[in-house]
Amino acid sequence: MSPTHLSFYSAFALSSLGLAFHRTHLISALLCLESMMLSMYIALSIWPVENQAASFTLMPVLMLTFSACEAGVGLAMLVASTRTHGSDHLHNLNLLQC
Amino acid sequence: MTYLVLFLGVCFVLGGLAVASNPSPYYGVVGLVLASVMGCGWLLSLGVSFVSLVLFMVYLGGMLVVFVYSVALAADPFPEGWGEWPVVVYGVGLVLVLGVGLGVGEFGGWKFGLGTVDSEGVMSVRLDFSGVALFYSCGVGMFLVAGWGLLLTLFVVLELVRGLSRGAIRAV
Repeated sequence: MSPTHLSFYSAFALSSLGLAFHRTHLISALLCLESMMLSMYIALSIWPVENQAASFTLMPVLMLTFSACEAGVGLAMLVASTRTHGSDHLHNLNLLQC
Repeated sequence: MTYLVLFLGVCFVLGGLAVASNPSPYYGVVGLVLASVMGCGWLLSLGVSFVSLVLFMVYLGGMLVVFVYSVALAADPFPEGWGEWPVVVYGVGLVLVLGVGLGVGEFGGWKFGLGTVDSEGVMSVRLDFSGVALFYSCGVGMFLVAGWGLLLTLFVVLELVRGLSRGAIRAV
């Protein structure tokens, strides 16, 4: 594995583990999601450089567009949860708890 | 100078680790800024300057600014620091999981070397400029779909934060 691939692969794996094991705040989970998007952007940008395929440089820009949409919706849900529960702590979201 | 790209890659991973093991969202945002600056420097050193600057402007200048003031809304007034025991254990545990995953999986040795971005011939254009410019010619369908998605997201966000009373500006 080349060091560049190892870099963004490890960053993606670490951020997805951070998303899985989020602790108190909802916004920490959203930040881990953003970090996953960042490592995917770097990966999609490096790929056309390695393979000398110019038309694939569209893909990171398109991915960034949809990741911006997703970040906006995630933050809107954060604001909605802060308005309803008073804070964005994850133990407040316990509708499904038995 | 030989090891600059390797150093940028290592700092990228450290930024990702900082986001994953953050004691408080303030430090998570710092880790994300570090990771995106290192990632931009990495893309610049490879030569694809356009996608690097797009990352800077859209990601750092747009999305992270919005994240920073959302963190100011949502985070604790007295956050934990990096030196607290649970955070250190958490960070070390994440690195251990990553190490076990890399050790168990097939690691067939290091491979070095990458290609260049300048095309040769009569018209010298950069790889990323010519690629992203396809948004306006062949990929115009994707362009319109992305624009429509962004417009739709605006209305989705306005609907999510509408709350019970009318009006978009409200104290939380």
